[in-house]
Order: sequence, then C-alpha cells, then structure tokens
Amino acid sequence: MSIDPVSLGIIWDRLIAITDETLSTLVRTSFSTNVRESYDLSCMLFDAEGRSIAQGTYSVPSFTGTAPETVRMMLAAHPPETLRDGDVLATNDPWIGTGHLYDINVLRPVFRNGRIIAYSLSITHLPDIGGLGFSATARQVYEEGLRLPVLKLVHEGEPDTLVFDIIRTNVRVPEQTIGDIHANIACNEVAARLLLEFMDEYGLESLQPVADAIIAQTEKGLRSALSAMPDGTWQHAIDIEGADGPLRLAVTMTIDGDTLHADFTGTSPAIPMGINVPINYAKAFVVYAVKCVTTPATPNNIGAVLPISVSAPENCLLNAKAPFPTGGRHVIGHFVAPLMMGALAQVVPDLVQADSGMLSLVNIQGLRPDGRGVSSIYFSCGGYGALKGLDGAPTTPSPSNMTGTPVEVWEEISGMTVLRKALRPDSGGPGQYRGGLGQDIVLRNDTGSELTISCLSGRTEFPALGYSGGRPGALRAVLIDGRAVHPKGRYFLAPGGTLTLVEPGGGGFGDPALRSPQALATDLAAGHVSREGAARDYPEAFAELGGRG
Amino acid sequence: MYRIGIDIGGTFTDCVLVSEATGETRLHKLLTTPADPSDAVLDGVAALLDAGGIGIKDVSTLVHGTTLVTNALIERRGSPTGMLVTSGLRDSLEIARERRYDLFDLRLVFPSPVIRPEARREIAGRLRPDGSEMIGLDEAAIIPAVADLIEKERIEALAICFLNSYANPAHEQRAVQVVTAAFPALKVSASADVFPYVREYERWTTATMNAYVQPLVDRYIARIAGRLGEIGFAGGFHIMTSSGGMVTEATARRYPIRLLESGPAAGALMSAHVGRSQRNASGTTGIANLLSFDMGGTTAKGALVRKGRPLKKYELEVARMHEFKPGSGLPAKAPVIDMIEIGAGGGSIAGIDGRGVVAVGPRSAGASPGPACYGRGGTAPTLTDANLVLGYLDADGFLGGRMRLDRKAAEAAIDRAIAAPLGLDLMRAAWGIHEAINESVASAFRVHASERAFDYRTAAMVAFGGCGPIHAARIARKLNVPRIILPPGAGVMSALGLLRSPFSFEMARSHRVRLDALDRAAYEALFAPMLAEVAAILGEVGIAPEAMQISRKLDMRFAGQGYEIEVEAGATPEGLASAFTAAYRAVFTNILLDEPIEIVNWKIEASGPPPLAHHDFRFASRYAPDAKGPRGRRTGWFPETGATEMAVYDRYRLAPDTAITGPAVVEEDESTTVIGVGDRATIDEHLNLVVIPANAPSASPEAFR
Repeated sequence: MSIDPVSLGIIWDRLIAITDETLSTLVRTSFSTNVRESYDLSCMLFDAEGRSIAQGTYSVPSFTGTAPETVRMMLAAHPPETLRDGDVLATNDPWIGTGHLYDINVLRPVFRNGRIIAYSLSITHLPDIGGLGFSATARQVYEEGLRLPVLKLVHEGEPDTLVFDIIRTNVRVPEQTIGDIHANIACNEVAARLLLEFMDEYGLESLQPVADAIIAQTEKGLRSALSAMPDGTWQHAIDIEGADGPLRLAVTMTIDGDTLHADFTGTSPAIPMGINVPINYAKAFVVYAVKCVTTPATPNNIGAVLPISVSAPENCLLNAKAPFPTGGRHVIGHFVAPLMMGALAQVVPDLVQADSGMLSLVNIQGLRPDGRGVSSIYFSCGGYGALKGLDGAPTTPSPSNMTGTPVEVWEEISGMTVLRKALRPDSGGPGQYRGGLGQDIVLRNDTGSELTISCLSGRTEFPALGYSGGRPGALRAVLIDGRAVHPKGRYFLAPGGTLTLVEPGGGGFGDPALRSPQALATDLAAGHVSREGAARDYPEAFAELGGRG
Repeated sequence: MYRIGIDIGGTFTDCVLVSEATGETRLHKLLTTPADPSDAVLDGVAALLDAGGIGIKDVSTLVHGTTLVTNALIERRGSPTGMLVTSGLRDSLEIARERRYDLFDLRLVFPSPVIRPEARREIAGRLRPDGSEMIGLDEAAIIPAVADLIEKERIEALAICFLNSYANPAHEQRAVQVVTAAFPALKVSASADVFPYVREYERWTTATMNAYVQPLVDRYIARIAGRLGEIGFAGGFHIMTSSGGMVTEATARRYPIRLLESGPAAGALMSAHVGRSQRNASGTTGIANLLSFDMGGTTAKGALVRKGRPLKKYELEVARMHEFKPGSGLPAKAPVIDMIEIGAGGGSIAGIDGRGVVAVGPRSAGASPGPACYGRGGTAPTLTDANLVLGYLDADGFLGGRMRLDRKAAEAAIDRAIAAPLGLDLMRAAWGIHEAINESVASAFRVHASERAFDYRTAAMVAFGGCGPIHAARIARKLNVPRIILPPGAGVMSALGLLRSPFSFEMARSHRVRLDALDRAAYEALFAPMLAEVAAILGEVGIAPEAMQISRKLDMRFAGQGYEIEVEAGATPEGLASAFTAAYRAVFTNILLDEPIEIVNWKIEASGPPPLAHHDFRFASRYAPDAKGPRGRRTGWFPETGATEMAVYDRYRLAPDTAITGPAVVEEDESTTVIGVGDRATIDEHLNLVVIPANAPSASPEAFR
C-alpha cells in the first residue's frame, strides 16, 4: 500500500500531536523540577520495527540521537516476541539510555489485534537515583547511584513490586522518584490509547506504510543536503578547562556522498570525574549540530539519524565505558555541538553559527537567613554566537536550553543579594556580525553564614570562536571576593563576600572590517560597544563615524 | 434604553445596537478607518441610530473593543518612553529570560524592548525580597534623570521599575510622586501598580509597554469620547479588556496594557453565554463546559469554558517574532482569557513543505491579495479556495452574494501548487488542505485541554467567525465532542460579546507565605487592600459592594516546586489545604509531595452584574423563520462519499425544530456551516444551529455533565 501526500501530511502531523499530548501528560504528572520547568524529558513513538517516527515538540533535542539506539538495545534484551500487551520495559543504564543514571527510559509496546504495531518511549530526569547525588565528583559510575538493567517494570498491567521496592530503597526522595516512574508509565499508556483511537479514525491496521514514508522523506531531506556538500575530510579540535589541565575534543568529519561520519580520535582520555560521555550521547550532539545546519524545520525521527555515524577510541572522553562516571556528561557533551560546527564551518561556512559563550551552573549550598537549608543551582548565560547576516543575541543558552534565574527569584530562594546583573560591553566577539554579549553578575552572600559554591562551567581559558574572519568572544571568569577561581572548582563564600560571574561573549562572524557603521553606531548608543572597543575592534567603521559614534 | 457595542478589527468595524427592554438587535458592519478609527465609530453609531429609529439620547451605554494597543506594540507606534530602574539592572530588558524559543532554528531573533537602552537611567535604592529597605531611595537623583530623559530622548511617558517592588511598592510610589509633581504632563507607569508579580523581567516589560502606549491610548479615548460628546452622547463610554470585562475610560487610560486582546475575549464570553442557554443532562439549562472556537481570515482562536466561565490566565505575549512560537514575543502580565491561537484561517496559504506533504498556514494571503478565488491578484491556493472547490462555499452566495468567487481560479491555484506537483486528483488535494486545518485545530485543542485537565469529550463546542462553522463539525468529530452549537450572528460574535460583558476588574500580587504559617487575620489583611481597590474601581460606576461578584484565587504550590496551581479560595483560609490537594490531583497526579504548601500569588477577580442577562439577542429584521425545507441542492465532496448531492439551507429562514441530516450546508451572510455525512442538526428555540456529529455516543443531552 502506498500513501499519498495528503494522508501522509495529516497522519505525520497527527503522530507528532500524539507525542505532544503524551508529553503534556508527562509534564503534568511528574515531580522533578527538571521535568516541570526545564523540560528535561522526551516522548517518542516508534514503529513495530523499533524505528522512531515522531517526537514531542518540546523534547530534549539531543535525545533524538540517543533514542533509536536505546530502543534497539532494550528490544535486544527483551525481544518483541516475549512481550505481552500491558508490559512496560525500563532502564537507566547510561550506555543504553541518555548517558547518565538520572534519566529513566520507559518503553511500552502498543498492541492492536494481538500484534505489536508501535512502541511509545518516554524519558525523564528523575529527582534522585541514590549514590552521591547530582554531582560530578564520583570517581566510578558505581558511586553515582542505582543502575537498572533493561527490566520489565510492568507485566501485563501488573507493576513489578520487587523492582519498585528496590528503587524505593535506594533513593533519597522515594515518593517523588516512584511518582515520576509512574508518570512515565501513565504517559505511555495515554500514547497507546491516542494511537489506537487515531488508527480507528483512519481505519489503519498497521503503521508500517506510514512509518516507511515518514522515515524516507526525512532521510531524503538530510541525504540531499549532505549530497549538496562536497565530499572530503575535515578536522577540528577544541579545548575545555579540566580540573588538571585542558581536555581536548577532536573530530575528523568525513562527508561521503549522502553520509556523514564523525570520528573522535585525538580526544583526551576519560577521567575519574563525572563528566565523561558515553558515545551514544556524543552522537546525539553530532546529529543535533548537523540537523541545525541542514534540515532544522523537519520533524525529528530516525530519518535524521540514519545517514550519520560516529566512532571513537574506547575510553576517550567521548566514548567512556563503565565504570567511568558520567553523572555530568552534559558538561563535556554539550561541547560536541560547537566541535561539529567548527568542522562544518570548513564545508558550509555561510550556514554555521560561531561559538556561543554557553551556560554556567553554580550550585550554592548553605543556610538561608531564616535558618532553612538552601541547595540550588544558579543558571546564567553567555552570549549567543553570530551567524552570517545576524548578530548574536545577548545572554542566550546554547546548545542546551536551561533558563537563567530571575534576580527576584534568586534573592528570595538563596538569601543572596544580586548587586549587579548587566550586559558586558565589548564582550561580543568582533565581526561583520557581532557575537552576543555576555553579562556581569555580582552576588553578595547576605545569608549571615558561609555558603559552599560549586562551579561547573568553561570558557575561562578557551573562548567562543568566531568564524569566517569573526573574532572570539570575551572569556568567562568566576571570582570570589575579586579573586579568579577555577570554573570547575568548589569554594566557600564567607558572609558578606561576593561571587562575581563574568559571563563570556559569543563569537563573531565575518571580518570586523566589514561591520556596517550604522550597526556600530547603534551599539555605541546602547553602550554595547565602548568607544575604546570601537576604536580597537572596528577601526574602519569607527573612522567612518568620524571617531565619535 | 439601548446599548451599543463597537468592535474595531483590522479590516472591519462591527457595530451592534440592542434594546435593553426587548433584546431586539441590529447589526452594522463597515470598513475600519485606520487613519482615524473614530470615523468608523461615529459612522457606525449613526447607521445604527438611523436603522433603529432612535436618538443618541436613547443610548445608555457604549462598549468599545479595539486592537489599537496590540497593533501599536507590533508596529512600534507608541511614544518615546523612558525608564527609571534599580542601579545595576538597566539591561534586564535585553538579558530577558535567557532561553531559546526554538531549539533548531539557529537564526532565532528576539523582539527589541520598547525602551531603548539610552532612554534608561539607574536610580540607587534597594528593597529586600521581604519588602524591607536595604538602601534608601536616592530621591535627589530622580528629577535630574527625568529632566535629562525629556531633554535628550524627548520622552512622553516613563516606566518606573524597581527591584522587589512586588513585595513593597514604597520606592516606586515615592518616585511617582516626585516625578508627577515635577513633570505633570508625563504619563507614568510604575511596575508594581501595573502588575505586582515577582520576576523583574516580566513585570518591568509589562510596565514599559503600558507606559509606551499610554499617551496614544489617552489621545485615542479622548478623541472618541469627545466626538461622541459632540453628537450629544451622555451615557457611559466603556472599554473592553482582555479578560472579558468592561472598564471605565479612566481605568483604560491607566492600564492600557489590559486592552490587548479585547475582541477575542468578547467572543469567548459570548460562547459561555450561549452555553448557558443549552439544555443539559439534568434537564435544566446550561452546559457548563465548552470549547469556544473562532476562526476568521487569518487565525483561529480557541478558549475553554469551565463551569460557565472562560478560563483566565495572567500572562500573554505580544509582538512575537514568530506569531505562533511561544517565547518569541514580549511578555505582558495582565489578566486575559486563556486562549490558543492557531495560524489557520480562510486566507491560510497551502503549499508543499520540506517534507513533501501538503501544509497549510500559518502564512496568510490576508484580505489582499486574498485567496485566488477573490480574483484580486492572489495566485497561491488558500483554505477558502479549497472550501470553494469542495462545494462548501457558494461562488455566487459569498457574503450574502455581495462578492462573487472565481471557482476556476481556485481550481487552477490548487492544481498548480498542490495537485499537479504531487500527482493528486484535484478534489483530493482540496480535501487535503481542508483536512490539514481540521487536524491542526483539533491537535491544538487537545494539547491545550490536556495541559488544563479539561475533558473535551463531555463538553460542547461553540463555533463562530467567518470560517469556524465550515470546519467545526469535522473538528468536533476528531475530538469526540458530542455537540456543536452555532449561534446566530456568527460573524459579529465579538461585538455581541461586548454587550454581554459585565464591569470587572482583577487585582493580583505576589506574596509567598507558607500555609501552615498563615492565620485568618494575616489572610484577611492580605486581601483587604486588594478588595478595597477593586471596590473603589467598580464603585466609580455605581456598583455597590453587595452587587459585586468577588472571587478570590490563589496560586499555590508545594514549597520548592516552580509550578503553581490556581485554587479557588474563600473569605477565610479554612479548607485551603484540601482545596489545593484536590486541584493538584485534578491537574497533575494522585501522588502528593511531602512538602509544605505555600501560597505564591493572590488574586481578586471582581465583577458587576452581567447586562441583558434575561434577553436573547433578537435579530428580528434578519432571521425570519418560515420555510422548513432546503432552498436548493448542490454538489459537495466528502471523503466518505466522494462528490455527492447535498441540501443547501438558508439559515435566516430555518424555524426552530427543523431537522437536517448531513451532508448539507447552512448558509448565512458571513459564514456557512458544513454538516458532514451522517451528522444531524436542528435549530433550537434561541435560533442556534445545533449539530450532533455522526460519531457522537448519543444525541441525547445525557452526554453532558
């Protein structure tokens, strides 16, 4: 049976709508603030062969890359012929799932007339999974918490009480953690119901013809974009601040016809700190970067993954195996996106984005003035990288999308005072299109007692790079009482002391000599570029303004 | 006495006159006059008075809805505006929310603030989150700063935005006093007065937009009120807000940001009213839960009505960079009816997207060049072209025959852009366009309802707007909604809603307090000043406190969670914990957190008595039921039957109890209702057309709770 473009469009959109409603159910029934506020989750539909065909719009984009492998491995452990209607599988294994123990992957086969016609998968970041708690300080994955192999969480509608008991016994907040697992079970049940209702409405017995068409169309779009690029091999490497010296990420990217391969040879070895990356998660950011540059508007499914492959030396930072710890795998993993942009910049220079300043996370622990404990993460953003024809936006996250913390919210929950939170003039990488500005944030400890400050950021030594002649953005700095400290360190802040976060700028795009004088004049008037900065970084445009601005 | 409602839209100004004694209603539609909108208002009033044979002295009330504020923000036609802001935080408007609204579009762009950085001045002074003073306000710096802004930036309005003012507005209030004493001509908006919610970016952005449009709205209202006065109008001149209530012109001038979405709000209000007249399960009247569906030329809007009232919320976005991408606009904290907006309307352009499938909207051909069938130079196929080709619209009867549609042009456009490239039959391609819109509207309703724990399968749909009735029955089928109500006057529902709206005013403030630390006295003390303020505002129009309907609402959460749930509260805090857990269970899950419960936001919604409560609108001059049979037949295309003969009815002549079986269409001047194969329809005693979809579990009213 072939399917015409009218039915395909309608059915495709409907499948996405089903995942959107599934996702909404999941958000409503979860506890974790990561799920509720940061949408650290994903909902997807797979066909009977285990290929992803639709993903909820607000899913974490990188999980598009991890999920196909996750489902393949889950079904290898529990083959379809062993599954019954009402069964639910689950695992949080970093090397099967999304790279760290915190994410639970929950899979439900959908039966119609006795046959599996689809699978629904949901992933959420659990409130706790035991071990050391959410940190990068573990030296082995065993310290990071409970690791569940692929197991049957529900047998034909009956929850496995032993599994639930084991989880309950191993986590700090059992009610919430178990509650979130139930939320995953419930949302996949909703997905199954919606899918079957939809198949009734359209009289479909199988999703296969539709799935084939969806995947083929998506794959065709990506393959034709890759075909339009020249064949060849390109290399790029970046450095990231590590606790004991720089960590290097390296890629050799090969485009061959309509395929793309990324090899991470040259990447530093894995380290005994919880920021190592399982290759599945590294691949996800390869897929993400390629998608942003080639087919950003196409909905996500396995068709966006099939033409892309990755390889890496065993136990390098981007292919860490057990027992290397991976709790904070995103701290390194997020850099795979700019790593790939650097390689793609050599192929399609006009389509890439200069590097972004990226996010900084500071975990603050101590006592509030009223004596209650506080343990909260302060998020703040550097500038966004410029693109051809477009200045970078100020203070915008990339590639993750955590939200910056409002001053009023932070003052209330932390007992700190935000003395200043202002854009940083001249921090945007100079270019024909300027990189986005970073910001200066000064926080004073007004709690009356000492605070513990744990930082997890980079860009203090290695800036956001500019492309096509654009220059790098300004570096990040973390200062305690005016003294610079390591961006991945742990410190104490005395009462009355100040923590200063100097957030980096995004990289510029294009030669700054080509900056339009009008754009420079606007920046000068707004104070986003100083007169000194204009004279130094944009002498041509500044001269054209008569050196006045 | 009579009431007049005037709704100024982008293209048309809709005018309605209704007799307070009999409910007799007259309509008049004319083109909007963008250069001076008051021209259309005055012309509309004159036409209504003439048609009704009455004088201006017979008009007690004129209610006005306008898109002026929204358009001014989109087109940046506000006045030069300055800002005084707490030291160290001048750039909050650019730093914004530090979040991307699209994860894959690298080229995303954010809207510029309405106040440029050079028109902002920092003022020293600091309050703590509990409202206590850390550093006193630097009063001496205020006058020089404002004088400088007036001289250098020529500002006409000023936003005063201090940190933590939601907890204590004293510094802002003092600054307002200083500024207004020294510069009486300046329009001043203080952030905690406009909307005292925590989160500085959202509150300040709201205040800056309020200030930015204040001079414009002030002049606009003065102009209309002045011209009405010149022709002898001595009644009340009131303005419709985004939350479905009227305010006086004075309140509108103080809080213009509350006027953002007045037309659609009035439409949702009308849906609630229509629902009240429907028979329900217990044999009494009133369907409490409704989907309000309005579709016009460029967008579709949906709202949910629960227990007879449209759901409200306290934030919306304006001036989006991408109209249908949340997060791409400027946030405005103001009470509004909670609406979804979908890029789907008669003018929505159909094409083939990057996936190689039929995609419709959100791009619209608008009124000019318009759909291909308008013959005004449009060549891209639109939804209206598809509906014409499918036989749902009559080429000779569009807008009551005032506009002829070119079917050949519609066919050619669909063939060229869709059917030929994809190798499809023309009718199949047209159906694809039609059905794609049905799907996207149904999906938007599903997700919106799911997020609000609203069970649409036990609700009825009220559909209106120029295009809503064409699609409503099919969308309802997809949602398993058992009944669709198509009220008379579908093309002027917003203007009718203006006449049904009560005076109302909402107050809200953020104040975080743990429930176990809250006693009755503290609870009452928090609400007391808010109650006093709403009583004063409603008192200005003579509504006595005992005639006010007051509802207290609290946004509550488990401590530590960022997700609040709105809970209906009483005059005392008794029972709040169980009210919260019940609401939590309904929206979220059965499992409750072992955390203390806290209140975050405090809200008062007050309204006066609804006008015309005991009257239907009686469209005596238009609806003249006599014949019970169809006025003709024509060919329509349905997926179940292919091309088939269907009956065509004249809506104006359908008498109550007429029974219709689909396929059929029912035509009126501004819209056409499509009744699908197997759907059944009737006319009720209020002249509503009521459709029961073929897949409804039961035609009986038992389906409704």
